[in-house]
Amino acid sequence: MLGQVVISGILSGALYAMVALGLALIFGVMRIINVAHGPLLMLGAYTTYFLSTVLDVNPYLTVPVSMAVLFAVGVVLERTLVFRVVDAPELSSLLLTFGVSIALVNLAQLLFTSDLRSVEYLTGAWVVGPFALSKTRVVAFVFAGTLTGLAFLLLGWTKLGKAIRATSQSREVAMVCGIDVQRIHLVTFGLASALAAAGGALIAVIVAIQPEMGQTWTFKSFLVIVLGGAGNYPGALLGGILLGLIEQVASLFLTTQLSEVVAYVLLVAILLVRPTGLLGGRQT
Amino acid sequence: MTTKALGALITAMGVVAGGLPAEAQGPIRIGASLSLTGTYAKLGRNQHEGYKLCVKDLNTKGGLLGRKVELVVYDDQSTPATAVRLYEKLITEDRVDGVMGPYSSPVTEASVNVTEKYKKVMVAPLAATTSIFKRPPDKKRSYVFMVISPAEEYLEGLIDTAAKRGLKTVAIVNEDTLFSKAAASGAVELAKKRGMQVVFQEAYPKGNTDFSALLTKVKALTPDVLAAATYFDDAVALTRQMRELDVNPKAYGVTVGGDLPEFYDTLKTNAEYVYGATQWEPVLPYPNNTEFFEAYKKEFGHEPSYHSAAGYAGCLIYAEAVKRAGTLDADRVREQLLKLEMRTIFGEYKVDADGFQVAHKIVTFQWQEGRKVVVWPDELALAKPRFPTPPWNQR
Repeated sequence: MLGQVVISGILSGALYAMVALGLALIFGVMRIINVAHGPLLMLGAYTTYFLSTVLDVNPYLTVPVSMAVLFAVGVVLERTLVFRVVDAPELSSLLLTFGVSIALVNLAQLLFTSDLRSVEYLTGAWVVGPFALSKTRVVAFVFAGTLTGLAFLLLGWTKLGKAIRATSQSREVAMVCGIDVQRIHLVTFGLASALAAAGGALIAVIVAIQPEMGQTWTFKSFLVIVLGGAGNYPGALLGGILLGLIEQVASLFLTTQLSEVVAYVLLVAILLVRPTGLLGGRQT
Repeated sequence: MTTKALGALITAMGVVAGGLPAEAQGPIRIGASLSLTGTYAKLGRNQHEGYKLCVKDLNTKGGLLGRKVELVVYDDQSTPATAVRLYEKLITEDRVDGVMGPYSSPVTEASVNVTEKYKKVMVAPLAATTSIFKRPPDKKRSYVFMVISPAEEYLEGLIDTAAKRGLKTVAIVNEDTLFSKAAASGAVELAKKRGMQVVFQEAYPKGNTDFSALLTKVKALTPDVLAAATYFDDAVALTRQMRELDVNPKAYGVTVGGDLPEFYDTLKTNAEYVYGATQWEPVLPYPNNTEFFEAYKKEFGHEPSYHSAAGYAGCLIYAEAVKRAGTLDADRVREQLLKLEMRTIFGEYKVDADGFQVAHKIVTFQWQEGRKVVVWPDELALAKPRFPTPPWNQR
């Protein structure tokens, strides 16, 4: 039984890690907690839903499309609203993204109604010995792993990635070195939204979606980056897997009701004992 | 006689005949807070449509007490706290003439405190939890009336069907809210009474989407029956994840949500063999049931669920009591509601001294080839249940 929940935990943890990496990027580079991260994920989920049901596209082929669409949405959001609060006190950015979040959810309720929608594809499980591996979750794991890997490659090896990391270390010095910080902000916000969209697209194939699905993902992503260390990108990876495991193992030994309590008690404990997260704060 | 004098005479006659001053003859306004968005939206909206159709039917038959009837509805987003605020607003700001109940037990439980405070009669057609009506002697409620069968009876059909076929062990899971808890504890009692062993019982929080750990525990115990006290979202998620984790009970049933056409639309063939409980089906032989079904379909472009029918019937029951009382006065309407015995499209209505429903019957169905087939109780059953449920890999 423990084996089964560890598998489930790691499978969902990879998704948490990928989605949280987006939030961590925005926080690292722009010093903004993007409360609208979850609702952006929701929009990604709906993009996949409509592409796969209306146009009959294979849902997994819609992942890059959802990412592209939400990259654009992210860019527009950054250019019209978010850039205004980059240097403002933290409360302004919280309020702004909170507002955007409410607006997006209500817009989705208006446009898509709050009906549950689901993409039926690849249902069932692969049974390996005593373990059942949900097909959709395994595929989501592979996608999340690959996309997270690509994101790290981008950050570590490309000129753009280096510029992003430089901006996240010190905006002033980056600017002095000739990095177009405005552009980096724009790209980062777009990338982060695309990562959220990928999460949404994959989730749409696993569970039924509705406009309010995003908020819990904002909280979970926040939890993940606090666990791993805010602004620390590999930390998001560790935090994601940890959160997945904690949730599942807590549901096994305690009850499903208590598993969220355990996760958030842990959040408080880490903030008290090691406020910079398990892997330490911002990368230097 | 001048025109003016004639006018005055007619007005005077009208006043004498009506017994009320002319300006009081505006519409009767009935207020309700309903879950039009949020978790219960699907079900709340159907209830809303039931109310709307009832009001329309009342008005085509000349209204109530000679006055037109009008609905004042707000959206509580499926949250009890919002509903409380909305009933306060309806009663104190909008000054409605009467109220009808909201959707779901948790929301009714919260709202009823407001209607009791202002001594307003509330027929609560979609509240199935016993504890809302059956209260300790010092906390009695006088103005709330039940229409549907209590939550405790929801899983009776599943348990009875399983017990008759010699199944021995049952696992029970439920959403951690008022109605689902009551349905689960009712199932535990019924199972014990039938000599079955309850091997597992656990609650999960409202809005939960990941049931893997819960189902892993269930799977390890290999129970014959899985009884889930659910609403819609969790019923869908549980069923999908049972398939993903290859959980194979011989009979699996849910409570609310499983009876909606959307349950099958969302799950497709994965919904086959799933048992559900319903307060009402269009095929049941109740008076005017077919007419209601057709009229509803024509009006709203989709089929009614039991939430629609209960909303419709609840509103008719309230109207009947008002008619018999001859007034909107809460105490006199209350007297009539306590005495009333009525057979509507929804079945029987009769309450005891606590306003608790004692006459209405619940039925159990099974999804068979995309259709809900009533399989329990025997006297209303249209077919035999397909038993046992085959394992997922043999479907």
